[in-house]
Amino acid sequence: MWVGIISHTFEVAGDTGRKRRDEVPRYIVEREFPKGLEIPTTPEGQKAMLGVVENNLTEQVTWVQSFVTDDHTKTFCVYDGPSPEAIRRAAGLSDLPVNRISEISILDPYFYVGAGA
Amino acid sequence: MLLEREGLLESLGERLQDAKEGKGSLVLVAGEAGAGKTSLVRAFADSLDEAVLVIQGACDPLSTPRPLSPLHDFAADPDSGLTGLTSQERPAIEMFGDVLDRLKNTIRPIVMVIEDIHWADEGTLDFLRFIGRRIEDSKAAVVCTYRDDEVGPDHSLRPVLGQLIPLGSTQRVVVPPLSLAAVSKLADDHAFDPRDLLRLTDGNAFFVTEIIATGEGLPDSVQSAVLARVARLDAKARRIVDAVSVAPRALEMAHAVTIADGGLDDIDAALSAGILLADGHRLRFRHELSRSAVEGALPPARRLGLHRTMLSILEEEGSGDLALQAHHAIHADEADLSIKYAPAAARDASSRGAHKEAARFFEAALDHSDRIPDDETAAMRVELANELGTIDRRPEALDQIDRAVEHYRSAGDELSLARTLIPDTGARWRFEDAARFRRGISEALGILERDEPSGDLARAYVTSAYQHMLARQGMAASVELAKARAAAAEAGTTDLTWMITMLEGTVALVLGDTDTGSRILQDVSHEAAAKGHRDDETLALMMLGSGSGEVRRYDGAIPALEKGVEHGLAVDQDYLVAYCRAWLARIALEQGRWDDAVNYVELVDRATAYRKGIAILTGVSALGRVRVRRGDPGGISLLDEMVELSRSHELQHGWNAICGRAEYHWLAGNPEAGSDELALAYQRALDTDSEWARGEIGFWMWRSGTIETPPDGAAEPFALQMAGDWKGAADSWSEIGCPYETALALADGPEKAKLEALAIFDSLGASPMGDQLRKELRDLGVGGVPRGPTKETLANPGGLTNRQLEVLRLIVDGLDNTQIAKELYVSKKTVEHHVSAIYSKLGVGSRTKAVNAARAVGAVEK
Repeated sequence: MWVGIISHTFEVAGDTGRKRRDEVPRYIVEREFPKGLEIPTTPEGQKAMLGVVENNLTEQVTWVQSFVTDDHTKTFCVYDGPSPEAIRRAAGLSDLPVNRISEISILDPYFYVGAGA
Repeated sequence: MLLEREGLLESLGERLQDAKEGKGSLVLVAGEAGAGKTSLVRAFADSLDEAVLVIQGACDPLSTPRPLSPLHDFAADPDSGLTGLTSQERPAIEMFGDVLDRLKNTIRPIVMVIEDIHWADEGTLDFLRFIGRRIEDSKAAVVCTYRDDEVGPDHSLRPVLGQLIPLGSTQRVVVPPLSLAAVSKLADDHAFDPRDLLRLTDGNAFFVTEIIATGEGLPDSVQSAVLARVARLDAKARRIVDAVSVAPRALEMAHAVTIADGGLDDIDAALSAGILLADGHRLRFRHELSRSAVEGALPPARRLGLHRTMLSILEEEGSGDLALQAHHAIHADEADLSIKYAPAAARDASSRGAHKEAARFFEAALDHSDRIPDDETAAMRVELANELGTIDRRPEALDQIDRAVEHYRSAGDELSLARTLIPDTGARWRFEDAARFRRGISEALGILERDEPSGDLARAYVTSAYQHMLARQGMAASVELAKARAAAAEAGTTDLTWMITMLEGTVALVLGDTDTGSRILQDVSHEAAAKGHRDDETLALMMLGSGSGEVRRYDGAIPALEKGVEHGLAVDQDYLVAYCRAWLARIALEQGRWDDAVNYVELVDRATAYRKGIAILTGVSALGRVRVRRGDPGGISLLDEMVELSRSHELQHGWNAICGRAEYHWLAGNPEAGSDELALAYQRALDTDSEWARGEIGFWMWRSGTIETPPDGAAEPFALQMAGDWKGAADSWSEIGCPYETALALADGPEKAKLEALAIFDSLGASPMGDQLRKELRDLGVGGVPRGPTKETLANPGGLTNRQLEVLRLIVDGLDNTQIAKELYVSKKTVEHHVSAIYSKLGVGSRTKAVNAARAVGAVEK
């Protein structure tokens, strides 16, 4: 397994012990905001969002999408990135909390269609 | 005529301009064979006037290349200013230093060309790494060409490219195939359809020009195109061409004249036909592809004959080029001459660090072992074994040792037998199989103890002690070391004293007498430094750093390891740097500085570390444990991999991964998982004197319910906790400086202790333990348990994030971006990004203005 690492030394920053090294891992990051997250729909708000995207780039982390609870105290954010540490560093750059990181792959209702046939 | 290369020439021109301004660079020119890399570089060099100094060198396509071939080329050029470079035997790094000095202290800017680095031997690879890392402050552009299609994942150039390409001072350019337009232009006055030509050649410049020069319709391969051209020469001219084809790169003109037997016209014929080029005082093919095409078509008898001719010419001349003579001797199937030259070429290669090449030369000589006296054969087998061991071909290496041993036994040569059975302490591969080592050393001691104490006997005891130390059998090691001292004293041997003292220090350290051990190791390290024995100094530093780290004496470990990193960077000892960083990562883990641990691991260069495994085991296990303790994904898979890797290493390199795994399964509520592996490690730990191995592994055996009584001789804090004294354990951990372990101990206590533990886990970000304690406290009916670590976004001055504030404060302190990157363990690029964000938020455009703004918004004290 580590033989693969040699050829990727300068290509992949992190280790996730993944089976397929050419895939970028996907994570769900849970964040808690006890006071409720407020992002104003103003130019400042937009600037903040874009700032997050920019910060993420330095860690090769991509923000895919987020889901927010009704009371805005918790978000579930889908991220692509090389490692959990990169996710944490990117969050640090934007001052975002990280309460839990889980590595995920997609499963949807149609995943198994045709598998039994 | 060069087509479609303007952009590339421009790039080279820009690098030369940079060089003039004192900003050196490394340019890597990549392309397939025949793409025109050499033509490009030559055209560039030719376009330069006297105001620029051009120094040229190349790597050999020999199957066993001459070590440091480019450096020999530099030395052979009277204008280079490097004429004495390779004349003396000295450490390669000194030669590299001389070249670097030349590139820095020059009036004219320098273009240094090194061709075909895909054929570079190990020494040349070290040179490229050395120069590539330090070229920035020079007035030179170092231009290297290589066949990128030949550099696959296992190629020795690959890791070097991996280390050099990311550097800011390195530029990589690719020479692409020719387009239809270019091919059309070349085929202009000839009867070829450019589209057919392009299809056949794929735009390969060499192939295109060969076909056009042959002018006879489309051939089916490069080889037939070349051979068609050569076939037009008469027999005598053909002989010259054939002779040049067996010379690895070029044929000395003088030799060509000898072969031509006075027929200088024949040489001219080959030159005018455009098949050969006159390159200074040498004759060569226009391209390596032509050379190999001609060589490949040689009938075996003729090829043999030509090699023999070359050999006799070189012999008569008294040539000192061992690799070249060995090359011809081997290909000429000249057994006696192979035997004569190959071993010498092997030793030469070995001394220059070219171990793969050295192994091949020894093997070539041993192919004729039936013509070599058995004693010499046996001795050569041991030399070959050492080379094979160094390049990780362990089974073959051990086989060679066995064969040598067999010979000495049947010949009754007990002394040679004993000596062969005592490995050099530097040959780690001979210590991997402990049982095999022990059998060998017993036999050797049996022989040597019969006679008067000798240097060999002392060496045998030292080696035995070394193995005991590796196996963490401190008491046994001490006994052997005492015998070693006595034997050395009686025999009057003094060259083992340093090693004996170093081992005594190491044993003291890991046996628990850390003050004595540290003091001894520091002394021997200074002694080695004073004598200029770099390898010894390195070894002592590594023992001091990792030995102290293993017994959790961080105040001793950290300075030694940091010094190791500093020293390794200065002399390009990549493995030392990787090893020390890996250990610094492990210590950071244990001290609760988890971000630092991650940063250190990411700095460990994998390609280097993988070669010996220990740095990888130490570093990646630390990363795995950080993830497990944080509850982040990817921890257990790393630890599983490390446990797998640790099987062929001593216990101390794997126990961290094994315990990390046990911790993971315990946190997951699944303590029985992986218990077999843990139990095995526990047995091994009991075979050692190591308090910390018995302590930590024993602790997890106890935690998982596999044992009830703690083992004897377990390290204090673990022993206390296993005995139920959670408070004593917590205090002990606190003194050592391990917050996570402190909290684990407190968590065994009553409510108040648990709350204290929770606070620690929260501050570390240890979610799994934090969640577990919260649940425990709720179940106990405790109220007012803190919710969890919250990250309030503070209203930072200037609207800066915490990280940006950190960077700004370092700017105010006067650090430049490189220093800031070092301080925060991030890349320079990340720092530059932060700096530009800071400027933007503060509305400034320069550092000075940023400093003023920082004071104005209250980010720093005025």
